[in-house]
Parts: sequence; C-alpha cells; structure tokens
Amino acid sequence: MIDTAHVIKFDPENCVGCKLCYKACFVDVIRWDEENKRPIFKYVEDCEHCFYCQAMCKKNCIEVIPDYSSEKLLQTFDRYL
Amino acid sequence: MDTKYGREDLTADVLVIGGGIAGLTAAVSIKEKNPDLDVLIVEKQTCGYSGKANKGGGVLQYFDLSRVNPVEFAAYHANVIGCFLGDQELMIKYVQMNNHMFDKLVEWGANVPKREDGSYDVMPTGPMTAMIGIDLDVTLKVRRTAEKLGVRIMDKTSVTDLLTSDGKIAGAVGFSILDGKLYTFRAKAVVLATGSQNYRIGPMWGSGRGDGIAAAYRAGAEMRNTEFGNFAQLVKVRSHEEVVFGENFMYNKAGEHVTKNFRTGPEPDISGSAIAEWYNQMAANMGPIVLKREMPEGGGPLNMLWKRPYGQRFWELNNEHAHAVDGDDMEVCPMLIGEQSPVKVDHDMQTTIPGLFAIGDASYCGSAAPGAVPAPPGRNRGSGILNAVFAGIMCSDAASKTGAGETLPPVCDKQIEDCVKRLYAPLERESGCKSKDIMRVIHKAVGPMERSVYMSGHRIETAMRYVEKAKSMLGELKADDFHELLNAHEAEAAVLSAEMQFRAAAMRKESRGWFIREDYPETDNKNWLKWIIVKNKDGEMALSTEDVPWEKWPIKPPID
Repeated sequence: MIDTAHVIKFDPENCVGCKLCYKACFVDVIRWDEENKRPIFKYVEDCEHCFYCQAMCKKNCIEVIPDYSSEKLLQTFDRYL
Repeated sequence: MDTKYGREDLTADVLVIGGGIAGLTAAVSIKEKNPDLDVLIVEKQTCGYSGKANKGGGVLQYFDLSRVNPVEFAAYHANVIGCFLGDQELMIKYVQMNNHMFDKLVEWGANVPKREDGSYDVMPTGPMTAMIGIDLDVTLKVRRTAEKLGVRIMDKTSVTDLLTSDGKIAGAVGFSILDGKLYTFRAKAVVLATGSQNYRIGPMWGSGRGDGIAAAYRAGAEMRNTEFGNFAQLVKVRSHEEVVFGENFMYNKAGEHVTKNFRTGPEPDISGSAIAEWYNQMAANMGPIVLKREMPEGGGPLNMLWKRPYGQRFWELNNEHAHAVDGDDMEVCPMLIGEQSPVKVDHDMQTTIPGLFAIGDASYCGSAAPGAVPAPPGRNRGSGILNAVFAGIMCSDAASKTGAGETLPPVCDKQIEDCVKRLYAPLERESGCKSKDIMRVIHKAVGPMERSVYMSGHRIETAMRYVEKAKSMLGELKADDFHELLNAHEAEAAVLSAEMQFRAAAMRKESRGWFIREDYPETDNKNWLKWIIVKNKDGEMALSTEDVPWEKWPIKPPID
C-alpha cells in the first residue's frame, strides 16, 4: 500500500466538527485543524481505504474513492507486477 | 538532553505500548488486579480505533466446553495446523479460557450477539469449533472501560525504542507524530502490544508495521519463529478483496480444476499448498487462475450472519466498492499479508527481558502457541482477537506484580541520548531516500509468492539480496516532517523483519505446516522439531535453535 492514488472528497459546509473521522483514521491520513474545527486530508497517499472516516461521519461529508488499480499485487508475472 | 521539538519525561507503574484490543485488555486486567497501579497506554494513532480488531470480520472462536475436551482440540491443532512446533500447554490454556474471555468482553461492554433465550448466538463451524460475531466497536467499548478504571491514555505518540537497565526493562522513548515532541517514559513494567509485521502490502487488517517488534529486538529481546512471517491470502485481482474458502475452487486457463484434491485430511482453509499450486500453474503458463464456485444454499457473507450495527456500515462500504470494480471477474492471485509476530514470550507473556511483556499480534508466533503457521489467526479462524484477549489476561498477573515494585528502575542518560539521536536522524539529514523507496525494495523481497511462501534456497538468496540493498539505504533515510518520520521508523522495522524472516527461512531446511520449501519438501521430525531463535548480539543478528520440548506435552509427533 504505497504509491496509491486513492481520492477523498470532503464537504466542509455540512461538517459539524465532531472529530470522529480524525480519530478513526489509523494511518495518519487525516490531521485536525483546531482553529476551524475541520479535518485536513493531508496524507491521502497513505490511505488504506478502510472507509472508517466515511462510515463514522453522521453528516455524510466524506467520500473515499479507492483506486484499486494503483495497489500492487507484487507477483513476478507480468500481469501482476 | 533537550531537543528542538521539546521534551517531556513521564512515569508509570505499567506502560502499555499500543491501544488495540490486546493493549486495552492488558490495561483493564492489570487495573482489575491492582486498582492502585498507574497504568498508561501510549498509542501512535487513536486508542480504541487502532489495531486490527475493528477492521476484520469481527469473528471469535467459541468452544462448548461442556462437550469439547481442550486436549482433543490441541491434538487436532498439532496434527494439521501447528505441525508439532506449537506449545500445546499454551493452546490448551487458550481453549480452557474461552468462555471466561467471552464473559470478560461482555463485562467490558462488548456487543456479543445473543439469542432470545440469552445464550450466545453461536454458529457451529466444525466438530469442535464454533464462531460468534462481535461488533467492531469492541475496542472502543474496552477503551471506555479502561478510562473508567483510571487507565491514562496518550494518543498520537509513537514509541521508537525501549530503555533497559541492568538487563531489565526501564522504560521507552517516543515522539508526538503531531509536533515531534520527545517523550521519555520510565516504568517498572512495559507491555508491548504493537501488532505484527505486515510489510504495508495488504490494506486494513494487514496494518501491523512491526515497529514494536523492532524496538524489542534492538533492546535485546529474543525472537522465535521469525520464518513464519509469510502469510498470504487469495484475493480478487481487481479489488484485492480476500476470497475466503476460495482455494478449493481454483481453475487454470485450460479449465482444469487445479485444487480439486489438494487437501489430504481435515485441514482448515487457507493453505500454503494452494499458493504453491497457483505459482506452479502460473510458471507453466497455465494462468490466469480463476475461481468457479457456487455459493451453498442459504450461504452469504459471514459478516451478515449476526446483528452488528456498528460494523455494518463499514462492511457495506467495503463490499459495495469491491463488488463495483470486480463485476463478474473471478480472477485471483495471492497477496502477501505477512503477520510476523515473533517476540519470544513465556506463559506470563514475559519476554527474555525481565519486566518487558509482549502480547497479541506482537508475540503470537513468539509465544509458540500457533506452531508452524504465521499468526494471527493462523488458519485457526476466530483466534486473532481472542489470542489478543488471552495474552492480555495472561500477562496481567505478572505485569501487575512487577508494576507494584517499590521503585522505578534507573535510566541511563547515554542510552536515552542514543535513542533520541536515532529517533530524529531522518529529520536531520539534508538529503537522502524516502521510506517509500525502501519499501519498494522490501516489497520485491517479500511480495512474490516464490520468495516468501513457496521457497527455495536460491529464491531466498534472491530475496536476501533485496533485503541487503534496503539495509544499505537505511543510512540515507530522510524524512521531511513527523508523518514521514513515522513512516521512516516503520520502514526500518520492515527491513529488520524481512531479514529475520529470510535468514531463518534459509536455516530451516524442511517443509512444515505453512512453511514450504520446494528444495526440501519433506517434514523432518528427526532434525527440525526445533524453534529458530533470532537475537541482536552487539548489533549483529545471531540465529540459533532451541529444541521443542514435545516430550512433556500430551500429543507426540510421529518420529521414524
């Protein structure tokens, strides 16, 4: 799970600043902007698309769009390199 | 010494490193035994959300102890899973404690589904085994229990090294991943609950980064069964979603059912032999391999069997996205999961460093309980979370007694200084390679099935050449911020794990259980009823063997 191209969409207007997405992220993709009470999706390249941030958001402000094709299977046959 | 990022010195009677289900169980159990102890959990992300327990199927193994004899289960396990490398005494204790563990989880607030009559909603899975689904908020529930009992919790702090004094544990050193601040911890007992090594290949439940294992190794703790860090799972090639029970239905491009008769006995699912067969078919240009199967009547995803509202949304999102990209494509390929869990512990879960305990995924293979299989769960479905709970409870007696000692061990300033220098080194370099450059090399070593799972001496040598290359890059490892600093330490841990894995794999000249060598296909009970021990001796990796004391256990291996 390196060199991935996942995308996270965020709607700051509906966000209520509950911080659950920040807490739920176990790979430090999401940092917290204390001043504006909003998440910062700072290290998206490390996202493992667990969808916890999206699942926790009561206001449906987050959409994780995984790019599975950017994840490597690492096998030595051409189709899986 | 001070740092430009600030410094704070903290103390605790018991320091728990890692806030997943193992660390939480230990903290709660220690507090239950001695409420006066000052117990501190340090977690690099957020305690209660971290770890693996909330990212899988939430399945717990259940034994009806009115009917199942624990020794019979140990016999089944020794014959078909552990292949006589397993500590049978520990396995028997694990089975005996099964119902007690459920009662404790319920007491700590976990949602374990029950039937209308109040009994647990158990699904039988075999002659001796059964399963119960647990909702994925289990770690959050146990965190709340820990807080009620007065356990202190510190999030977003990554521990990079352990401190010792006169050969005993004395504390740890770490940093805030948010602002880089240095933390030193002095403690009478330290419980390592930092997970296994998954090499950053699979997503989600393969999330262990092995940094706690590396810290224990550097501190001088012995490792055991490091060669069993090579777990793999069949996944769909588009979504990389794992295919449970899929290996019985593998077909090659000629339409032949290539795994029709590959099981020789009552083996559990997920077999290294199926991975080897996948490789052989691909190498013979008979790929790609696809699955063809019909779901049994009334069958469906395991996670839908029980009412578990917290996990439901998580599973639905994952399934929706995976199915959208998979469509009808049933092509499969194995993916390395890893699961090296080698910190050697005794039955109190104490490592070879007095006062240092290791539990859960950090020490599952190191405890020797699962035997010749990478764990968790080690082909023993439902034992991952439960092993973490088991180990957390098992360590609590000795850890609470050590934590109740009169004085904090002294710490050596020079030792702290060395750890701090190592900690911030990637930030201090003006130029160099990034952690991901190193991980790309490590992935070449561990990722391919023929190097990690279906091995040979030659292929292990190839893997070791990549490991050596990655090792040579560590001195140039550069981080630009604290997030990258975290990644840098995790990459260093991955290099160490890979070296321990392949050096032990080169040494074990046989095949046993999950460990498969094409050049040594037979199990050698005459010469290899042994554990391989790996230890840091003055900066050099030293390997040795230790005889498995099978004579004292009830189930004996077949010896010619």
